Amino acid sequence: MTLAERLADYMPAIASGMLTTAWLSMLAIVLGFFAALGLYVLRTRSGRIGAGAVKMYVSFFRGTPLLVQLLMLFYLPAAFGVDIQSELAAIAALGLNSAAFQSEILRAGFAAIPHAQIEAARVFGLNPRQILWHIQVPQVLRITLPSLTSETIDIIKGSAVISVLAIADLMRVGKQLVAVSHRPLEVYLSIALAYLLLTTLIAMLASAVVHRSREEKHA
Amino acid sequence: MNFELIIDILPAFGHAALVTLQASILAIVIGAAAGFMLNALAQIYPTTFGIFYRGFVWLIRGTPFLAQLFVIYFGLPQFGITLDAMQATVIGLGIYGAAYFAEIFRAAWQSIPNGQIEAGRAFGLGRRQILRHIEAPQAIRLAVPMLTNQAILILKESSVASIITVPELTMTAGTIVAETFSYAEPYLLLGLIYWLLALAFAGLGHGSEHWLGRRQTH
Repeated sequence: MTLAERLADYMPAIASGMLTTAWLSMLAIVLGFFAALGLYVLRTRSGRIGAGAVKMYVSFFRGTPLLVQLLMLFYLPAAFGVDIQSELAAIAALGLNSAAFQSEILRAGFAAIPHAQIEAARVFGLNPRQILWHIQVPQVLRITLPSLTSETIDIIKGSAVISVLAIADLMRVGKQLVAVSHRPLEVYLSIALAYLLLTTLIAMLASAVVHRSREEKHA
Repeated sequence: MNFELIIDILPAFGHAALVTLQASILAIVIGAAAGFMLNALAQIYPTTFGIFYRGFVWLIRGTPFLAQLFVIYFGLPQFGITLDAMQATVIGLGIYGAAYFAEIFRAAWQSIPNGQIEAGRAFGLGRRQILRHIEAPQAIRLAVPMLTNQAILILKESSVASIITVPELTMTAGTIVAETFSYAEPYLLLGLIYWLLALAFAGLGHGSEHWLGRRQTH
């Protein structure tokens, strides 16, 4: 078989691996976003103990490798007699990890909103929850979109380590293809290019959104 | 929690921490030096080298380190280049780091206003003097927090080397689990050790920021 024929042979497996990687990463980013909002609320509204706990959480998840967090989430519950599915451990590890990074990103976004807006909203009779969802979150999303994009790319790349738990993501598909074809160079290069495609698409999508929201503002 | 077990496995973890530090520090030094060179070449030859530079950064920053490591460790032998796991890790992490370090140096360099360089020229300073006395001190100071952050990222990324059986911290935890059949102590200790190492790196970064700041005011 020629190289082109072999590459065509790899395609269906690589496409299915890309789908798995893409949806696990997206799920983790979305879960991580809501968890990060929760961390922000805890940090600002629950006094010194809450703020201290959030700080420890963020420091730990930013200071340890994602692979180690994954292994801890998979094996520690087992040590206490709770069996956890590998997909669940993977989503939890990616989501909890991303929550820590996103909470730092969101913190900068919240800080950029003038305080007078919050006071004005309060005068209009909005309650804290309405202020959060209708005044703060939409603006924070717009302000932090570039940072959230690079966090999404980090999660897509970081998710390659979940292949150690035998989840059929892009990286795992690579290993399976090598086991059959015994051609690691071309297989792993194709896998790397598939990741590059995913991360480049995300970057292009985000810059298009940023561009459009800028035009809307000027219109 | 079995404290006797923790005492028993501490020496193995200590030894593994040295392997992790060795791989990380070597990769940080290689990556920072290569990143510095890459940025310098891209600044001096923006058209010819610029395309290669942007392609390299795009490729390295757009793909997982694990995939890069697999290409180097499993793929290169096809060209007759066979590296052991530790060599592949140091070289792979060094190349990976170089792309990020180069971008940090670029950002630091671009943040120095052009007016300063023109002012230096007006005072009769040569290109080399401007580089040494005006650009470099400021660029380094601006870059230190980002460099510290990148060093921590490389330290954490080195855990991936466990997958190609480098006997560093993460692989050692797995080995201990296989020998002792207890999961809780090795994995809790593993997380704690990485956390402490990252905090130590951050502390070193803060220290050098202070030191550089003090030196500059004299």
